[in-house]
Amino acid sequence: MIEVEKLSKTHERADGPAVHALREVSFRVEAGEFVAVRGASGSGKSSLLNILGCMDRPTQGSYRLNGQDVSAYSDRQLARIRSQKIGFVFQSFNLLARTTALENVEIPMVYLDGRVDRKKALAALERVRLRERANHYGSELSGGEQQRVALARALINDPLLILADEPTGNLDQTAGGEVMRILLDLWREGRTVVLITHDDAVAACARREILLRDGRLVSDRQVDSAKTLEDV
Amino acid sequence: MKLLAKARQAGRGVVRFRRRSLFMMAGSIVGIASLTVLDSIGENTRRETMARVKNMLGTFDTVIIRPGGGKTRGMVSLANVEPVLKFGDAAAIGSEVSEIRQVAQLQNAFDVDVTYRDRQTYPGVFGVSSNWLDLRGDRIERGRFFDADEERALARVAILGPDARNELFGAEDDPLGKSIRIGGVPFVIRGLLASRGAGPTGASLDNIVLIPVTTASRRLFNRDFLTMLIAQLKNPEQGEVAAGKITALLRQRHKLAPTALDDFTITNPRAVLARLTGVSSTLARILSGVAILAMLIGGVVIMSLMTIGVAERRREIGLRRSVGASRGDVLFQFLLEALLISVLGGAAGAGLALSVSMRSRHSKSFRWCSRETR
Repeated sequence: MIEVEKLSKTHERADGPAVHALREVSFRVEAGEFVAVRGASGSGKSSLLNILGCMDRPTQGSYRLNGQDVSAYSDRQLARIRSQKIGFVFQSFNLLARTTALENVEIPMVYLDGRVDRKKALAALERVRLRERANHYGSELSGGEQQRVALARALINDPLLILADEPTGNLDQTAGGEVMRILLDLWREGRTVVLITHDDAVAACARREILLRDGRLVSDRQVDSAKTLEDV
Repeated sequence: MKLLAKARQAGRGVVRFRRRSLFMMAGSIVGIASLTVLDSIGENTRRETMARVKNMLGTFDTVIIRPGGGKTRGMVSLANVEPVLKFGDAAAIGSEVSEIRQVAQLQNAFDVDVTYRDRQTYPGVFGVSSNWLDLRGDRIERGRFFDADEERALARVAILGPDARNELFGAEDDPLGKSIRIGGVPFVIRGLLASRGAGPTGASLDNIVLIPVTTASRRLFNRDFLTMLIAQLKNPEQGEVAAGKITALLRQRHKLAPTALDDFTITNPRAVLARLTGVSSTLARILSGVAILAMLIGGVVIMSLMTIGVAERRREIGLRRSVGASRGDVLFQFLLEALLISVLGGAAGAGLALSVSMRSRHSKSFRWCSRETR
């Protein structure tokens, strides 16, 4: 599913030395894995997720997604990949302001083929048990509900890969548990999930843990005693 | 299909931030409306000036000869001209300058009392030749003008302008055939002039009484010189040529030494008109400048609101990109939003300007333009 080879990302800065966010990171993720990426802040987690999510291109190294080398893709080609294969979930939910839950869920369809299928969007909301809140604005929903809307939006185009950047970081335990339950469901359906987290309990749900420090991959291990959701 | 869906996102963007959209529209409404209104004021002023000049002169295919070498200012009259322009000069110009079709003569005064019974007024008393109507574009509303026979016979007949008629007769009394006294001399009213409205200075052109120039000269004023000649050109383009020939002829008739200055002034109305419309188009340009400034301010308002908007919506841009929008898609959306706002604002501004213009058409200052297109 994911093959990264000596991936480096350097951010040039006008007023100081260049920042090496990633230094020659190499790893593979097979289809259907559930991977947690951990590390202190500034360790390169977000840079890695941006590249994996085709939002950004590596400075050096190669990235093969589902067999395709996307490291040199154009902006338009990357946009196409994001639209077809990747679902994003963010720490701060990122729902559009002054827009209903339903309209938020519909947005990815606009960029996939322009066919906005309301029934499909409602089904996705049903899936995260928010169908009755479809016409509520983001500001009228709780944090957990907003994140579930974001999940519905992430899965509307049926992506193979779900990337989550601290999806429970802004949520209390109950709401976070709900979100993790949905993510686990998506994984059980056969999707690949890569999530960044600081939370041990969340990381414990994953079957594999990658640890970054100063842009280098320092540890990559299978989590044998993967916990079930009930432990979260 | 895809384009339509993206366009709809832009439309929603406008509605979602409706307050900001309205402010931006206000910017373009103000800009467009002021541009349109000020520009139409400028254009109207220009037309109005032209109309008023035309109003005073009647026709443009003439040259005007006034006594006195200096540039005589204001309206001539027997009280303020040099006694150099004679009846013989008018006849000579008519017969010897081939570019001239005919010459009208004027001998006028403003200090003559005109009475009817117990009413008295001081209109401009204009002794004019019988071809006056042709050259000035005056129209007779009722009755008739005097003819060449009456002019020769020193007939005591008068034509009243609307203001003089109102002063003497009021609205109800019929002046035709009535006898009035001009400077104590009795005259019979033969005709009534249609209104001409205002001249270039805005003063009325209607407060006049016309009588035959011969009668004025011999029976009323006892003066043998004229206050103005109007020479009609056969070809309107030949004003300069005719003016040159008239100058030579008059200098010879007035026996001026080669070193002496002209004792008369020739004006070509086309040149005057060009100068006047030049002045009013300067005004129009200044107004346009102000309008463009207003437009620019409107533009800056839109620009700053849009810039703030993009900064605030950086998160939205990131989100849209993450769900599959390319940079081009984001650009398309924001440009289309801006386009929608400016087109809607522009249309509203144009509508506003139109309603302001329609309203001012009925107001006094604009009335001339519509009236003079007769």
